[in-house]
Amino acid sequence: MSKFLQNDRSRLNLSAPANALIDSFQQGKLDRRTFLRMATVLGLSLPAMGLSGTRANAQDASAAKGGILRVGVSAPTGPVDPMVAANQGSIAMYQPIGEYLARADPDLSLRPSLAKSWTSNDEGTVWTFTLRDDVTFQDGQKMTSADVVATFNRLADPDGGAIALSAFRGIIGKNSASAKDDVTVEFQLERPVGNFPYLASSDTYSAIILPASFAGDYEKSGFPGTGPMRMESYSQTNGATFVRHEGYWDKENPAFLDQIVFTFFADEKPALLALQGGDLDVVYQISVQNGRAVLTNPEYSLITTRSAAARVLHLRTDTGPWADKRVRQAFALTVDRAAVVDGLMQGRADIGNDSPFAPVFPVTDPAVAQRSVDLDKAKALLGEAGLPQGFKTTLNVLNQLEIPDYAVIIKAGAAKAGIDLEIVLQDPGSYYGDGQFGSSPWLDSTAGITDYGHRSIPNVYLTAQFQSQGVWNSSHIKNEQMDSLIGDFLATVDVDAQRKLATSLQELFLEETPAIYAGFLEFVSVSTNRVTGIVPNASGQLFLGRAAFKA
Amino acid sequence: MSMWRYLLGRLGLAVVTLWLLSVLVFLASQVLPGDVGSKILGPTADKGAIAALNTELGLDRPALERYADFASELLRGDLGESYTQRREVGPILLEASLKSLKLALVAFLIVVPLAVGAGVYAAMKQGKPVDSVITTVGLAAMVVPEFVSGILAILVLGLWLKVFPITATAPPGSGAIRQVYHLILPSLPLVLVMFGYIERVTRASTIEVLRSDYVRTATLKGLERSVVIRRHVLRNALPSSVTVVATQVGYLFGGLVVIEILFNYKGVGLLLFNATRDKDFPLLANCVMAVGTVYLIFTLLGDLIYSLLNPRIRVGGGQ
Repeated sequence: MSKFLQNDRSRLNLSAPANALIDSFQQGKLDRRTFLRMATVLGLSLPAMGLSGTRANAQDASAAKGGILRVGVSAPTGPVDPMVAANQGSIAMYQPIGEYLARADPDLSLRPSLAKSWTSNDEGTVWTFTLRDDVTFQDGQKMTSADVVATFNRLADPDGGAIALSAFRGIIGKNSASAKDDVTVEFQLERPVGNFPYLASSDTYSAIILPASFAGDYEKSGFPGTGPMRMESYSQTNGATFVRHEGYWDKENPAFLDQIVFTFFADEKPALLALQGGDLDVVYQISVQNGRAVLTNPEYSLITTRSAAARVLHLRTDTGPWADKRVRQAFALTVDRAAVVDGLMQGRADIGNDSPFAPVFPVTDPAVAQRSVDLDKAKALLGEAGLPQGFKTTLNVLNQLEIPDYAVIIKAGAAKAGIDLEIVLQDPGSYYGDGQFGSSPWLDSTAGITDYGHRSIPNVYLTAQFQSQGVWNSSHIKNEQMDSLIGDFLATVDVDAQRKLATSLQELFLEETPAIYAGFLEFVSVSTNRVTGIVPNASGQLFLGRAAFKA
Repeated sequence: MSMWRYLLGRLGLAVVTLWLLSVLVFLASQVLPGDVGSKILGPTADKGAIAALNTELGLDRPALERYADFASELLRGDLGESYTQRREVGPILLEASLKSLKLALVAFLIVVPLAVGAGVYAAMKQGKPVDSVITTVGLAAMVVPEFVSGILAILVLGLWLKVFPITATAPPGSGAIRQVYHLILPSLPLVLVMFGYIERVTRASTIEVLRSDYVRTATLKGLERSVVIRRHVLRNALPSSVTVVATQVGYLFGGLVVIEILFNYKGVGLLLFNATRDKDFPLLANCVMAVGTVYLIFTLLGDLIYSLLNPRIRVGGGQ
């Protein structure tokens, strides 16, 4: 135990949540790894506590200066504007030129970037970020709190149409951020959020800090970010070129590469072929199914990180064959999770336990019993529900990635208990429909499999998918206990209390089974093994600022 | 005079065809599921954000009003702005069209001499083993789907033998020869598909011509074999091949989705595919009309060349 943690006087300046976190750790309620991750979120300075924080930038000592990194990425499907860009290609286009207040690392700890430190009040309703005072934009302007305030207020304006609203709505609005002085930004939250720093970090991919004067128009000239590379050319159809920004503010961590050249691909397979043919050095994201040729080839290095992304199988709880929770439980007991994780995903996934609490979340309780195949119990439950012979029903499946194969595994398992699933494959346009209740198989079907991306905290999954009024509540669950537990979970700043609520929620999810989570997928990128220094982020970004070729 | 009248008539018909195409595409794009805003922002985006984007793009207005706007802009020569790319359709379409035409040209330069030559040769060797070999190979090649031959070409010639580059787009600033070099691999599957077709038509019409009286007369009056072929056989057999070739241009220009995806080539086929997926009506409609225009132009060109090569049906020739 470090002296800092034992020294009560040095803890006087800490917020109540930070003190509670340290107490939990001292009482042995948290393991060291979890404590360290959570400490970074609450803004505790780990070096000052005599603890080593997250590992330094993953950087091979053999990194050489210079070179052109050729990256294949999916083509942007819309304008490259952090306000609205939602797909990987568009995000990859502003990522090299911008930076965040903090960066979410692969292990979900937060690393200070443009902000030096942050802290909250005891209730978790006011968060204060202290900025670095030596940051300049690529046009030479100094970055101040005014730029940070403008960036967040633009993203959080409820009428502004920003993509970040799905994370910010109800938490911050268009006037929530304010400048206290040139280097201090205060966020007044609409309700307490214990892990707000995640929302202000790279985890909200659109929250790169832009000049207050930002007016869009990336396609013409890019925009001045604070990052180590600047845009040289961009064509929405072909690709983009970024060059090293020689005036980068962080003199200790300049870019190694001379250039990053992105080529846009309409499909993953040609990108993998181009990698094998020597036309690319990196493929931004690959699937386990298509990537077999490179997954085990020693010429390539995989860049992976665990995530909370999942193919969620929802079950209508209000009507149809799944309305009886014993039937839902029985179904869940037929799912061969090992076949999904080890077979379909080639081991590149964490096993799921029918709740959005992925093992990667620090709050997730690993002690909650893991559900596994139990056909006898499944049949018994179906018998109790008056369906001893089983029944026939449809399963709507998003026809994307490996999801149809996943559906086949599910169907084979269910058949063993007498549940006959008729798979209805739908392309994304048909499956999501209008995205509104009443006109979307995603939200209306009795059972369906949907692709949900990664979030660093489970908050959005919980409120949108499983609260009564949730906008993605495709299982139509209206459960008072669930609503109130989720409400408490969101409002709790105290880490120990939050973990207890997580345990209760995980158990309630198993009991109610509004959805089946068989596994949580890893984010997988690939490069030739001459490349080093690429840091992945589970929300589907690669940080290329310190990428390099080995000498 | 009548030649001009014929051309004007064809042109008028072309305009009506294109207009009908635009209406059809508009109607079809109304039926496609989902709305543009949620396609751009993703289905799980904030509902307010989706609504704001749809309003910004003018998609909350009635369908008829939107079509009227599109049509009137088009009449003024304004192709409109792409919903997803947020820039003028004109330059996007031009860039893709040039690429498609380049690929089509390379494929044609390889396949036309090859297939016509093989067709004529097979006809002259009719019934001999070499004829059967050419015809069978052509037929077999025709039925192999492009994605199969494309992947095979990539694996064998690109990855294994490393003779040709895998990506169809040459690095920026490459010269013409380098660009053609990059286009050879993606041309091969197209050559395979078209070879059998053109070869068979050429062979059939050559056989027909070879059996004709005037060829027999030419041979009997002592003309050399090569002169007979050049002056009499080719001139009379080629028109049918020209018509076949002309009808392939539309396919080569706008129908190469699979090849363009496989070789990562940003031509009209891929643009059309993406525009359909994203419900990007201005882009979609203009792509379809561009493909339609190319198709109409080349069919007309084919007819004109046909009539030039075959004086018997030259327009107005009988008068």
